[in-house]
Amino acid sequence: MTPDLLNRREVLQKSALGFGSLALADLLAAERSSLGGSPKLPARAKRVIFLCQSGGPSQLDLYDPKPLLKEKHGEQLPKEVRGNQRLSTMSGNQSSIPLAGSPFQFAQHGQSGQWFSEILPHTAKIADDLCIVKNMYTEAINHGPAVTYLQTGSQIAGRPSMGAWLQYGLGSSNNNLPSFVVLTTQGKGGQPLLSRFWGSGFLPSEYQGVRFRSGKAPVLYLNNPPGVSNTSRRLLLDRLAELHQHQHGMAPEAALQDRIKQYEMAFNMQASVPEVVDLKDETEATFELYGKDSKTPGTFAANCLMARRLAERGVKFIQLYHQGWDQHGGLKGGLQKQCRETDQASAALVTDLKQRGLLEDTLVIWGGEFGRTNYSQGKLNGSNFGRDHHPRCFTMWMAGGGVKPGFSFGQTDDYGYNLVDKSGAPISPDKHKYHEDAVHIHDLQATILHLLGLDHTTLTYKFQGRHFRLTDVHGHVVTPILS
Amino acid sequence: MIMFPLLCSVLILFVGNLALRADEPISFDRDIQPILSENCYYCHGTDPSHREGDLRLDLRDDALDTGAIVPGKPEKSELISRIHATDPDDQMPPPDSNRKLSAREKELLRRWIAEGAEYTAHWAFTSLPEASGKSIDELVEDRLAREKRRLKPKAPSHQLLRRLTFDLTGMPPTLEQIKSFDPNNPEALIDQLLASPAFGEHLATPWLDVARYADTYGFQQDRNRRVWPYRDYVVQSFNENKAFDRFIHEQVAGDLLPDATRETRIATAYSRLHQQKVEGGSVPEEFRVEYVADRVHTFGTTFLGLTMECSRCHDHKYDPTTAKDYYSLFAFFDDIDESGLYSFFNAEATPTPALSLPTPDQEQELALKMKEVEEAKAAWLASSRTSQGATPAPDYGKPVLHLDFEKEGPNGPNKPVPGTVGKAVQLTGDDAIGTKVGDFHREQPFTISLWMQTPDIKDRAVIFSRSRAWHDAASRGYELLLVNNHLRWSLIHFWPGNAISIETTETIKPGEWVHVTVSNDGSSTAAGLAIHLNGKPAEIKVVRDHLTRQIKGGGNPHIRLGERMRDRGFKDGLIDEFKVFDHQLGPREIALLHNPLAKEKAASGTSGPSTFGTEACRNLQAKRAAYNRLQESIPEIMVMEEMAKPKQAYLLKRGSYDARGEPVNPAFPAFLPDLGFQPRNRLDLARWLTHPDHPLTARVTVNRFWQTLFGRGLVGTSEDFGIQGERPEHRAVLDELAARFIANGWDTKALIKEIVMSRVYQQDSYADSLEAEQDPANRLLARGPRHRLPAEVIRDQALAASGLLVTKIGGPPVHPYDLAESFKPSNPTLGEGLYRRSLYTYWKRTGPSPAMMAFDAVKRDVCSAKRETTSTPLQALVLLNGTQFVEAARHLAETASDNHPDDLAATVRDMFLKLASREPDETELSTLQKIHAEQLLHFKNHPDETQSFLAEGHTKAKSPSPELAALTVVAQALLNLHEVNTKL
Repeated sequence: MTPDLLNRREVLQKSALGFGSLALADLLAAERSSLGGSPKLPARAKRVIFLCQSGGPSQLDLYDPKPLLKEKHGEQLPKEVRGNQRLSTMSGNQSSIPLAGSPFQFAQHGQSGQWFSEILPHTAKIADDLCIVKNMYTEAINHGPAVTYLQTGSQIAGRPSMGAWLQYGLGSSNNNLPSFVVLTTQGKGGQPLLSRFWGSGFLPSEYQGVRFRSGKAPVLYLNNPPGVSNTSRRLLLDRLAELHQHQHGMAPEAALQDRIKQYEMAFNMQASVPEVVDLKDETEATFELYGKDSKTPGTFAANCLMARRLAERGVKFIQLYHQGWDQHGGLKGGLQKQCRETDQASAALVTDLKQRGLLEDTLVIWGGEFGRTNYSQGKLNGSNFGRDHHPRCFTMWMAGGGVKPGFSFGQTDDYGYNLVDKSGAPISPDKHKYHEDAVHIHDLQATILHLLGLDHTTLTYKFQGRHFRLTDVHGHVVTPILS
Repeated sequence: MIMFPLLCSVLILFVGNLALRADEPISFDRDIQPILSENCYYCHGTDPSHREGDLRLDLRDDALDTGAIVPGKPEKSELISRIHATDPDDQMPPPDSNRKLSAREKELLRRWIAEGAEYTAHWAFTSLPEASGKSIDELVEDRLAREKRRLKPKAPSHQLLRRLTFDLTGMPPTLEQIKSFDPNNPEALIDQLLASPAFGEHLATPWLDVARYADTYGFQQDRNRRVWPYRDYVVQSFNENKAFDRFIHEQVAGDLLPDATRETRIATAYSRLHQQKVEGGSVPEEFRVEYVADRVHTFGTTFLGLTMECSRCHDHKYDPTTAKDYYSLFAFFDDIDESGLYSFFNAEATPTPALSLPTPDQEQELALKMKEVEEAKAAWLASSRTSQGATPAPDYGKPVLHLDFEKEGPNGPNKPVPGTVGKAVQLTGDDAIGTKVGDFHREQPFTISLWMQTPDIKDRAVIFSRSRAWHDAASRGYELLLVNNHLRWSLIHFWPGNAISIETTETIKPGEWVHVTVSNDGSSTAAGLAIHLNGKPAEIKVVRDHLTRQIKGGGNPHIRLGERMRDRGFKDGLIDEFKVFDHQLGPREIALLHNPLAKEKAASGTSGPSTFGTEACRNLQAKRAAYNRLQESIPEIMVMEEMAKPKQAYLLKRGSYDARGEPVNPAFPAFLPDLGFQPRNRLDLARWLTHPDHPLTARVTVNRFWQTLFGRGLVGTSEDFGIQGERPEHRAVLDELAARFIANGWDTKALIKEIVMSRVYQQDSYADSLEAEQDPANRLLARGPRHRLPAEVIRDQALAASGLLVTKIGGPPVHPYDLAESFKPSNPTLGEGLYRRSLYTYWKRTGPSPAMMAFDAVKRDVCSAKRETTSTPLQALVLLNGTQFVEAARHLAETASDNHPDDLAATVRDMFLKLASREPDETELSTLQKIHAEQLLHFKNHPDETQSFLAEGHTKAKSPSPELAALTVVAQALLNLHEVNTKL
């Protein structure tokens, strides 16, 4: 088809693929400013489920065992290990910086022999499905900037989130559900969650994540007002469409046509969203798999189960947030509680997806915004202590679409403080100084995009005269973890 | 993803149509620079750190010297051979750059070189041409004539009326206006709208987007802050048609104006509305730098239309702004006494600098109370002079606390060591020694003495404090610190801007005992603080001298020794004989404290007023207390206030707060003319901006007003007037209006009136399919403006048309229904707060009004010069199901049926007219009546549904009936009509 032959209606039809749409003029402007879409790579995954563990889970007590810390429990962190890294101002002025061994036992699991703490019994059982990345690092040292960095590629608010970028790059495949859905565990305290973590930044707002709230109206004003039945609403919408068609007949217009479509989609959503959040057609065996919490709406377990349902219905980016991983004190009890809430359901989600044949093209990611220190924040009283924020190394795991199962990548030193290379020598990479044995969060972002068939260097959006990327000017695809 | 290439092709067609015709000469700025900028400058532009092959294409001489360009000889120009090369090693742009030239672009470059390869300056950086006096219509028609196009006829009357009332007031036309409007003589209405208070409210919204106005601090904790006086200042400024250059001066430098007033100081909150941080563990300097950076970015976007962010880490790759330019602007905005964090433990404290906003009554009362303080002080001075002779010997009275450290028990892990008298304590630095005294108001005179010894030189250590924490409490309370072994004694409301603080000029020697006495006379001045070393007054310098608020609060009400939360403790330091007196000691008493054996000698020495226990002393304290409590009760707002001594700014390498490079001083971006100014501070900066020869300010401002009216600026990238920004299709219009704007004394209302009086603005906005395809964004202006109404206007229209709107202007923000559904929910304000204009809706950055967000309101985390317009099903849900809209529909239905009892057709017409400003046609009327009939039948069969449907909202239906329910659904249909929500 040559451009001359393309009429307006066809343009509109082509552009009407998504859940929402930008006014045509803006759409054209946006496309002119992008680099014309990115060359598509072969996609290894069609969707992502990101289990965000907000607060910074302690890698030293979950995935990355350090016997040396138990031996040296209570001794001071050697200066040569600390180097000149900045500490958070929460513990940076402490006179004493005592090392703290994990209060938990570790053991190897599965054929792959991956290490897990005793408080992750269920995750341990799927050892052979997991790709555990132990050499994650970031520059951000506090929650707000760190989560913003992980989700948007910048520590300062204002950029689009990863899910928004994916929507922008991939489009939507389900007209009745948003393609970027966020679920948060209810009733958790801890570091606040902010809507910018799933915002669209300078991308059009249709790309922002839609948070499903637990309760009767998962989406803002999804339900008819009290007293308005579906019958009454259908009657109204039919007549409204009639009015719009009448006006369209007199003065045809793309924006009006679009509005007619949006009202139909709204009506469809009123049915499809309640359907996806209603778990009543799930079997007892499924509830058992996810744990008893999964019957209580708003729990992490119920959200994991809902994530699977959303994945089945073509939602591209599903993000769960679970707060409470910020153990500055009372680490032992705190972590036990966190794991009771998340361990079984996280493992169940992977197992369930696998049983249904969805795991091979679904990428599941588990992790937080940074790790925790090998020393105690404040006083060390036996096994009662806390850990401060530690951006220099932390652990995440992935499973499914395109990553190596039963695989562990990267190492930290015996103190669990610094990253080391394959030979065990300490390295101090930063975003400007790439090292193949370290995974910066920009590298993680590049890898996620890669697995979905997008090149992080070409998925750009022009804003204020500059081509922006999720990975800024950084990021390398972590090829060793690709299957 | 098939759509991308298709749309791109359409676009090139479109750009080709508009940008260049074969018979027109090539313009470097319009046709060539965008190609070079987009594809070449990244490696061959301004940024030396990223330059490849030592080649610059942004400068003609460089491009010619290297042979990249040979004027008149495209076939000999390396540039041309490279862009046609097929060998990946030679090809430009390189294959891995993801940039690619189209055949048309290659041809343009060839033609440009063949025509001589002339470079011209970027249009927006050149001075404005003199005003020609041509009208908007003449200029647009000239341009259209070249395209063989003409303006459309005037828009239909009701559409024009709506366009005017929405654009000038954000409100739908009233029935009165609908009746009296004469499309052939709209001037009377235009004048009326411009004079309406709703004008300022409507114009304020885009300005508040630019100024990133919000009622909360943002970032993570996102607590409330009281900045609405700034919002009211903006509304008022537009309403009184303040000259726009004055509006700029006030916001950029209202504190520095020779005729500065409270109003102009409130205006400077513009530079403080950025997000602010409180998260524990943050590095304050990191965020202070972030704040200043945000001021620079906002300033750059607001006034210069330049994207300063790019120059924060390196020289701009496209525009001539360098990193040095960036930090030179930074140097204008960092000279205020601020902290990088606000107070976690004292959320009520306004981050400094702050301006107190007393009412006139409070001002009078303050003056009265101050007079009483002065009188009490005079009486006390007089009484102490008369009593002096009567005091035979010094007496320092009984301390309220005396710690001698002879017993180990209460000191925790801190160790007993030999002291000056018996034992002393050695501190770990991590374990405070608590006390039960010291919860003093600032007017309370008090004295604290101790023996201390430091083991080493400490860059910072807390000897003792009455304070919950360091940064986390903005040091609220009082404290004695060692700072590079100088003793620093401070009373603090909010560090650094609201505190009194003095420091010894000499240092404490490690390993030596020293007797230290610090005191406060209750005057809230640095002169009322004293430090004595070994019984003698120490030579001091004043560190801070501005204390106007309380020092109590925040937790830890009592004195603690040797440690403070997240601060550096007095590690291995020794303390002995720690004494607290709840009165001020004079020099003789202090000498005695230091050396009890010196009693005789001290008694013969000189002395100041003897001070405690007298009636006069108690009276002075009481008067000060009365004054202080009143002063502390008066609300404040964050403002800019230049420090006496400016801070030194530095070039920060890669933009990082901890990587200081060379020092820089305030300066304008070097590529812009200095216009004869010697830049020293923000006032020079403000005046430079509004100098008649400034190339950017007026253009950027006029463009944004144009954008507000047309939905799109003459420069579509209203945030970017740089090389990468869009070239205006109607540059002549922009330049003419900008030049006249300056010549007319920056008269905003006159500018807006001229635009809306033009035939360009008033023409029909409908585009048939061909027109929509050829110029989808209406860059040519061959039709009138047409776009969905902004978020605020959609809600305000429903309130106004239904009669629910409360038109009160200004004041604290309110919480309408949808805030209960926000990500950070808050309870709706019952009563009139539910029905105020959306401008007054509480703006919480981490959970803004979800209904506003659904209609593309921006979050206001950062400066935003324009909003997107999207269309999503979520918008339909808000309009159909949102409480605000359901209640408005019912109210509309009730009023209309009251006006036309028993006449359904008239009732429906009435509602239609109120929302669409026209009469429905026969088909529409019949469809609406069908809705009524169907719904009536439904509700008659479902009485329970009738009751609950009509109970939505805070107001009550007067007589709930199936008829009213059915009519409410009709009103809902109208509220959801495309034409009702669109400016046609």
